[in-house]
Amino acid sequence: MSIEVQNITKIFGDFTALKDVSLHIPAGELTALLGPSGSGKTTLLRIISGLEVPDAGTVFFHGEDMNGTHARDRKVGFVFQHYALFRHMSVYDNVAFGLEVLPRKVKPRKKEIREKVHQLLSLVQLDRLGGRFPSQLSGGQRQRVALARALAVEPKVLLLDEPFGSLDARVRRELRHWLRKLHDEIHVTSVFVTHDQEEALEVADRVVVMNEGRIEQVGTPDDVYHHPATPFVYNFLGNVNLFHARVEGGKAYFGDAVFDLPQGQMQHDTSSAMIYVRPHLLDITRESSGKNDLKARIIYINMAGPVVKIELLSARRDSIQVEISQEHFERLRLKKHEEVYVRPKELKVFTQDYSI
Amino acid sequence: MIFVPKQKSILPGFGLSMGFTLAYLGLLVLIPLSMLFLRSASLSWSDFWATAFSSRTLAAYKLSFGASLLGASINAVFGFLVAWVLVRYEFPGKRMMDALVDMPFALPTAVAGIALTAIYSQNGWMGKLLAPFGIQAAFSPLGVVIALTFVGLPFVVRTLEPVLQEIDKEVEEVAASLGANRLQTFLKVIFPALGPALLTGFSLAFARALGEYGSVVFISGNMPFKTEIVPLLIMTKLEQYDYTGARVIAVVMLVASFSLLLVINLLQAWTRRGQS
Amino acid sequence: MTKSTTEPIWIRCALIGTAIFFLALFLFMPMAAVFIGALKKGLVVFLQSLIEPDTLASVRLTLLVAAITVPLNTVFGVAAAWAITKFNFRGKHVLLTLIDIPFTVSPVISGMIFVLLFGAQSALGAWLIACDIKIIFAVPGIVIATMFVTFPFVARELIPLMQSQGIEEEEASLTLGAGAWQTFFRVTLPNIKWSLLYGVVLTNARAMGEFGAVSVVSGHIRGATNTMPLQVEILYNEYNFAAAFAVSSILTMLALVTLAAKRFIEWKSVVNCHSRSSS
Repeated sequence: MSIEVQNITKIFGDFTALKDVSLHIPAGELTALLGPSGSGKTTLLRIISGLEVPDAGTVFFHGEDMNGTHARDRKVGFVFQHYALFRHMSVYDNVAFGLEVLPRKVKPRKKEIREKVHQLLSLVQLDRLGGRFPSQLSGGQRQRVALARALAVEPKVLLLDEPFGSLDARVRRELRHWLRKLHDEIHVTSVFVTHDQEEALEVADRVVVMNEGRIEQVGTPDDVYHHPATPFVYNFLGNVNLFHARVEGGKAYFGDAVFDLPQGQMQHDTSSAMIYVRPHLLDITRESSGKNDLKARIIYINMAGPVVKIELLSARRDSIQVEISQEHFERLRLKKHEEVYVRPKELKVFTQDYSI
Repeated sequence: MIFVPKQKSILPGFGLSMGFTLAYLGLLVLIPLSMLFLRSASLSWSDFWATAFSSRTLAAYKLSFGASLLGASINAVFGFLVAWVLVRYEFPGKRMMDALVDMPFALPTAVAGIALTAIYSQNGWMGKLLAPFGIQAAFSPLGVVIALTFVGLPFVVRTLEPVLQEIDKEVEEVAASLGANRLQTFLKVIFPALGPALLTGFSLAFARALGEYGSVVFISGNMPFKTEIVPLLIMTKLEQYDYTGARVIAVVMLVASFSLLLVINLLQAWTRRGQS
Repeated sequence: MTKSTTEPIWIRCALIGTAIFFLALFLFMPMAAVFIGALKKGLVVFLQSLIEPDTLASVRLTLLVAAITVPLNTVFGVAAAWAITKFNFRGKHVLLTLIDIPFTVSPVISGMIFVLLFGAQSALGAWLIACDIKIIFAVPGIVIATMFVTFPFVARELIPLMQSQGIEEEEASLTLGAGAWQTFFRVTLPNIKWSLLYGVVLTNARAMGEFGAVSVVSGHIRGATNTMPLQVEILYNEYNFAAAFAVSSILTMLALVTLAAKRFIEWKSVVNCHSRSSS
């Protein structure tokens, strides 16, 4: 079932959580709402679920207006950030809850409920823990119970609020892959909220990047990472170096350095352009080619990890982060305090001002 | 708008629960109480003054406030000590002691009253001990203080306990490592942290003592000008059908109680800020 | 050697000793006095004074008052706690303070306001007399005064707990298709049952033990408008000490049961917390 969000605005007191947000979520896809805290992503999720009422705008499920429909009738599965498991119920009873509260006429028989719950518990690999209470489970297990509970009512839409937010890094990664696999099996339209760009890029079919109550960009993970539409997206998806430059005649001037601007990028002249370059898209050389590079001094080298992280200081005392491969670093034999040249392999120019 | 949700909530039952709460609160508490104030307002100022501050009522105020203050002070000292001992030390019978601290909350005041009177009257266990020193406990202001100490006892202990539990042992260790001796640590580190809670407990005990009736009437002897507390004076006026007199004194006491409630609320806000 | 964060042993012993002495003086001794006073003249007199008709009538009245007061105040407490903890609205602090009022008002004044409201000298009172409805110096007055005095207990127990539990479980229940009452009975109520029970126990203890307020509105008619605490007063003032203490001992037992219930409920919630945090 597809979800259509039209012109949603939501205000809490004097804080505007969502400003005129519109979004289309295709059926069967796994979509990530990605953004920093306060960007409105959780509010949007809660509005889709019906837990929050928008001040303006409409939510459609499969073309049907949902505004008058209460959360309990929307047939959404909602997985809460802190799981919200019923603490006085066993795992089994938690999962069975949505079936137990059905009206008598449509409520399945006890045996059917039991079969369904066991089937769901084995789907989330918790078959043996049905008798446990939430307090006796690990964070990852609780998360899976919450998911099984949400799936029990056969939701048309599955909504997950920071599903891995309160888990430690390793469990997080495991559950993330597991969620992707699960989605490939059951194919229910799913939306999850996250502030972790790696999570969004790795798991989702489609990423919605949000900031300050607005949508910055919607696209495939590949799209948003390689073709960020706004400086915010560029910034949010990975580390970045920022240079304030002057643009004149298709060239960017940054101190003494001059950079050729790539084709198709901003060509009109301005004195306040921003040049964004990712650390791994910067190269270091000893010799200047006289063009497209920048003199800088190495002040810090960190070799722990798959890439070597180097921090440099330009003549204008801007800090520059560079990541190069171990092999390349070995070849160059760079030393601390050495003066070198930094050359961008790829750069992106924006004019509007954006603070990091 | 007051008592209206700031956000539209999808949780059910706000109208029902809020409506019931306000109706019940209004009918049972607010309307009856406001009648007391409204009717008193029809009194002339000089009449009000004459009734509210006659020599007999003044004596009663003096006793009520004085004895309550004294009782609350005794509780501040010993309640502090009891809370300290219960939180910091291990000893046999501690759990029972801890449970019994709430006794004055649970015991009907009339029962406390006759029990204390039995103990402190001349033939009682304590009365016999005190008599040779010429101290008369029951049927004297001292008896009033004893009863008011009893009713206020749990307040100081129960407000201090959680705060005492939350004081970080590390802070004390830091103080010790910086060369403070135990007394210095107590006076400069622990005691200031407990200040607001102690004051709150003291005020709660004081407020409770001020209104107390049941446990006092038996032990005090109820002599006008000597051992007559304000609630008893109100009672006497009611029994004499002097409703105006009773109402005026009640208004004075209510103003005092509400001012105290305000102070206590402010103190508790202060305590909470200190904890977080 | 003494650890740097505790006191020398002699100070500890002195402090413990003083605390025990203070509590013995103010708590143990009155309780002991009640039970000894009750049994002073032997078990027979004790039992006889309990089955005396006026005393039995006071027991019945006390039970009746509690049976009306406790359920009403429980419903109020749950409703108030639900409105206050599950929703955000302006004036929440004002409402909390208003609910606390009966705690601050002297019991005598609590009774008195109903005498003024329903008594013969007020317009409402005159009308009630004309209709031959007795409230003051009758059972309804006792019930109303008791309701006033025990009004905040349940709400006060529930509000902090429900505040800390938040609204996520209720939201989860709704998204799973449960209705309002289903959510309340299946999710909320089981989560608050121990605190609710304690609030009920406290309300009950106070309802049965209230003296000052009830004393003002009762009219002290023997066998008709005397609750147990009032019966204690009457027996005591008649110098029938054995009987006064016999009735008192029943009320003291009630207080002890209340304290035991409090311990049990605290233990229960600590166990819950513990198993929650240990995982």
